[in-house]
Order: sequence, then C-alpha cells, then structure tokens
Amino acid sequence: MSTVLSPATGLSGIVDHGAASGSSGAPWVRSLRAAALDAHRELGVPTTRHEEWKYTPLRRLVERDWAAGEPGPAVFQRELPRYDEGSIRIVLVNGRFDRNLSETEARSPHWVARSLRDAVTEDDAVVREWLGQVGPKTTQAVGREITPDSHTFAELNTATFEDGLFLHITGDVAALIEIVHVATGDGQAFAPRVLVVAEEGARARIVETYVTDGEGATFTYPVTEVVVKEGANLEHVRVQDEGAEAFHIANWQTTQAAGSEYHSFNVCYGAGLARVDQGIWLDGQATVTRLDGVVCAGGDQHIDNHTRLDHAQPNSNSFEVYKQIVDDRATVVFNGKIFVHQDAQKTDAKQTNQALLLSPTATIDSKPQLEIFADDVKCTHGATVGQLEDLPLFYMRSRGVPKDQAEAVLVYAFAAEVLELITHVGLRQALERRLYEKLGVDLGA
Amino acid sequence: MLQIANLHAKVAEDEREILKGLTLSVKPGEVHAIMGPNGSGKSTLANVIAGRETYEVTDGAVTLDGEDLLEMEPDERAHKGVFLAFQYPVEIPGVSNTYFLRAALNARRKANGEDEMDALAFMKHIREKVKTLGLTDDMLSRSVNEGFSGGEKKRNEIFQMAVLEPRLCVLDETDSGLDIDALQTVAHGVNALRSPDRAFIVVTHYQRLLNFIVPDFVHVLMDGRLVKSGGKELALELEAKGYGWLEAEVGATA
Repeated sequence: MSTVLSPATGLSGIVDHGAASGSSGAPWVRSLRAAALDAHRELGVPTTRHEEWKYTPLRRLVERDWAAGEPGPAVFQRELPRYDEGSIRIVLVNGRFDRNLSETEARSPHWVARSLRDAVTEDDAVVREWLGQVGPKTTQAVGREITPDSHTFAELNTATFEDGLFLHITGDVAALIEIVHVATGDGQAFAPRVLVVAEEGARARIVETYVTDGEGATFTYPVTEVVVKEGANLEHVRVQDEGAEAFHIANWQTTQAAGSEYHSFNVCYGAGLARVDQGIWLDGQATVTRLDGVVCAGGDQHIDNHTRLDHAQPNSNSFEVYKQIVDDRATVVFNGKIFVHQDAQKTDAKQTNQALLLSPTATIDSKPQLEIFADDVKCTHGATVGQLEDLPLFYMRSRGVPKDQAEAVLVYAFAAEVLELITHVGLRQALERRLYEKLGVDLGA
Repeated sequence: MLQIANLHAKVAEDEREILKGLTLSVKPGEVHAIMGPNGSGKSTLANVIAGRETYEVTDGAVTLDGEDLLEMEPDERAHKGVFLAFQYPVEIPGVSNTYFLRAALNARRKANGEDEMDALAFMKHIREKVKTLGLTDDMLSRSVNEGFSGGEKKRNEIFQMAVLEPRLCVLDETDSGLDIDALQTVAHGVNALRSPDRAFIVVTHYQRLLNFIVPDFVHVLMDGRLVKSGGKELALELEAKGYGWLEAEVGATA
C-alpha cells in the first residue's frame, strides 16, 4: 500500500520543467536543486494515508495538469493590497520579482531588497549560506533521533523556483515592509521563493500577502525562509487571501539565534485548498517566539495549518495561539507540534488552539502534539471547539444590534485576541475589515 | 403603552409552565414594581418581554402601542424602545463598550429612519451620560462588562439605558448583589431617566430598591400570576410580613 500518488500526476509538467531548467547557476545551486528534485521525486505527492496529510486530500490538485508558470502581466484587474502609503513595497508577480512595482532603491542603509535570481546568479554569499538551510536540524535525544519533517512541496519549490526575493535587513527599519505575491493564469503553477536574513540586532516589521488576480485556478507552492540572528527582532505577518479556485501549499521556515524575538502571524482567509507548514528552529538561548494564527474558512474551503516549533536550546519562551472560524461546508485542520529537545531545559512553551464552528456542516480536525525530551520544562497546550453562545448574542440583540451584525461582532471578537497583537495599526485594521467582509457584514464607515 | 394579557410561558425545552395567565397594563410615565418570591416567574416575565428565545410563549398576548411584540425579534423590540437591564450582564471580551453602544444606537436610528450618529456626536452624547452616572471614561474603552465588578456591571446597564433612551425599561433584579452605595447610584440613574413618556417595570425580590425608585404600582407575582396589586405601601407590607401570608391568602381563594 503506497502512501504517495503515482508519479504520473498533474505535477509532472512542473517537475520535468524543473529538471530541464535546474542546470544553470553556480555549482552549489545546481546541486541544491538536483538534490531537491530527487527528494521530491522520492517523496511524491502524499495521499491521506500519509500521517501528515491525513485530513487533506490532494486529489483535486493532481487531477489537473499544471503548467510551469509564465511571467505575469504588467497591469492587474484588481487593486494590489497596500496597508500603509509610507511602506516599502515589493511585488512578486507569478513568483518573479517585479522591478517596476517594487521599491528597489533603499531609503536607508538598513535594508536591501533584490531579485533572488540575480542574487543567486551573482553568487551572493549570504544567499549561499542560507538558501535551503533554514529550519529544524537533526538532533540526538534519549534513545532516538529527532529529525526534521520532509516537505515534498518545499523540495519541489527548491527544484523549480524561477525567481523570488532576497531581503537583507541589517539595521532598524522603521517603515513597514510589504511583500505582495500575485498569481495569475489559469492552470499555471508558481513557486515564489523568499529569503529574509535579519542580521544581529536588526529590527523590522514584514507582511507577506498572497493574492490572485482574475479568474481561473492557480497553484502556488511558495517557500519563505527567515533567519533571525542574535538579538534581532522581527514581526512577520503572512496573509493568504487568494481566490476561491486557488490551490496554495506553502512552506515557511525560520531559524532564530540567541536573544532574538520573532512574532509570526499566519492569517488564512483565501484559496479553495490551502496548506501551510510552518517550522521554527530555536537555535539559541533566551529567544522569544510567537506563532499565532487566524483562520476564517467558509464555502467549500479547506484550510490546513501544520506548525512545528523546535526548542533546541535552553531558556526560551514560545507562545502559540490559533483562532479558527469555520462556516458552511468548510474544513479546517490544525496540527501543532512542539519538540523540546534534550538540551532545552527551562523551556516555557504554551500552545492554544480554538475553533468556532458556525455551521453544522463545518469541520475542524485539531491535533496538538508535544514531544518533550528535557525534564525541567513548562509546556502546556489546550484545544477547544465551540459554537457562538446564545447569551452574548441575545444580550447584543436586546440592545438593538441586528442578528447578523451581532454574530459577526462576536466572531470577530473571537479572532481579535490574535489580530490585536499585530502592532502596525493600518495592517491590523485592514485584516479586521477583511475578516468582517468574509463574515458578510458591512460595518459602514 | 404595554399590554400583557393572559400570558402563558415556559422554558422552551421544558413542559412545565412558569407564567400561567399574567395580565398587566403599563402606561407612559408609570413605574411598576413586580415583586415575588424566588421561582415565581419574575425573570421569565422580563426575558419574555425582551424576546429571549429560550422561553416559549404558549398563550396570551403582549403588545406595545398596539403592535404585537411577540412577533418581533429581540433587536426589533429594542428598535421599538424596549430595554432589558439584565440580572447578570454578559461579558463580551474583545468588543469595547463604546463600539457596542454605537452599533446599538445606530441600528435603532437606522431602523427608525433616522440618520446614524457620527463618532464625534456619539462621543459627546455618551460623555454627558458618563458624567451624570458617576462613571469613569476608562469604562468606555474597556470590553463590554469584561472584568467588571458586580456593581460596575449594573451601573453599565443603567449607563447603556441612559445612552439608548428606551421607552420601556425592564429592570431584572438590578439590585441583586449591590451594596447600598452602588444601589443609590443605580437608583439615581434610573430616577434621572423618569419622564412622562417613559415607563419602567422594576423586577425585584426585595423592597430595598423601592426606597430609592418609588413605584406607582406594586404587583405581587406568585406561581406565574399577579396575585395582588397596590400602591407603594404594598411593598412595605411585603417587607414587613414576607410572602407567606399572601401564599396562604392565594391558596385559600384558589
């Protein structure tokens, strides 16, 4: 009994394209891509018999024949998101760095944003050091080995990405950095690739937003790698708001060094089928990590988030809160792994995931998974699934708030606990407005 | 203004009737006190008027200015001027008092064909009320009732009432759990709202509140019916004698 789909799937066009184009660049890139291609071929496309894909069937994805994505247009049918007029905005269209839409002239000496393709071609030393190297490593623990998870779509991205963004943050960047990923073109597959390296003591706020433009189904399989060096502080919001026909399977990896802070927010509103695998490797002492998520799924959406946090060093704190709203016939999956490695004494890890079911046909599959190999740690987790309570609803209605609005306000309040932690006001308000839109309520001015 | 005729009601998923033929008429400007022992149906009456769905009306009629109140959703009733001050005000984390009240006020204004109040005019409107009720501004930005003390919650109910300016105010055991100072503040707030075109139904177990909110009528609710009505002196009689003598009297005539 095989746990992978046969190689003759709808992804073979992309794989072949990757095999054909992976032969350029410096030797390290060629070998990185070749190894990734082999790994993807070996891993294949998982079925629901694979433990990590138990609740997320990919049949609908592989039924289609996907073509390797073409470069996108210069103009779009929709307005691209912008949260702050004063922000630094970088736009990637169909996975390619768009020089016309992006700000490339750094206003301060504290950051550089450039095409990843260029950076690879020029054999940038920082890119060479980190590309494909971020995330969990293998360690030894009492009687066993703790190994990183395998990610077949991340391997596919490494083997096939055309371009992407290299963002190098070397100091304190005051302006919000907005990275906008646009995907357009029916039947096309895109592999956006982002590498963010925040040097020692650097500080920035980043928001990555994934949208689609126009009609048609797209398949985006992005990889974002984030390096947070000693004492650096990054707030990183990821917003997935693609169209209802879109497929989105993402990999997001972070490595944190000693004394660093990383606040991550995974906001999932869009796509027909979406999966994010987020991994954070705590590779230094006294780090602080937030790993928060807001999911709002309706219609026939299927949204799956797998998070993995590896406490590999002592004295670090992590907090994870997921708020998930599930309506109509939608399905939401959450799997939250926390590994506390043998050396990671005095770890304090707290995980909470809550789901609000708004319809009898909505589904939530939730699985916290703590594996602890150190003995002096504090780890807690809690999972709840509930519905809107009658009493607050009646209370609001008895004051005159109409039912739909009262429901939306209560659902919003449920998610607000996480959204309120986003420090950029314009961004937070835009995400709140979008949530209300999704909930079908017009709040007026 | 409010006409209740032969009202029968029960908890939706329960067979047992709680209200068994209650009749009451309330005119504008009047203050009616409903007193009665625990379990007599006082809270049921208050909740049925406001439209709580956990109660089911099995017979009788409730009209407001001739319109069938029972046909209306809770929010429609509020738009017509009904307000229930809860016995146990509900905490709503993540929703600020100000936001909540503005949403409520504007929903009513919209339903009645009036313009919505903009943020500036609204803030001016509520700051006046804050002052008269001796509240603090920080209560406005806090989440609705979240972490409020018992007294703060009750004051917040009266504050909301003052902001929304309803025509029919139903106070469900607003005095429960209040010390004498808080009781006076709440009563002062209610008295400030008394006017010729606004009516009150004050549901209470004890006479104490009625020292401060002096009613025009006192009704005794027992076993789902109003068994005795009178003026404010009836409350004093109940305070002195308890409910026992009435039970005997009702039992004798039943």
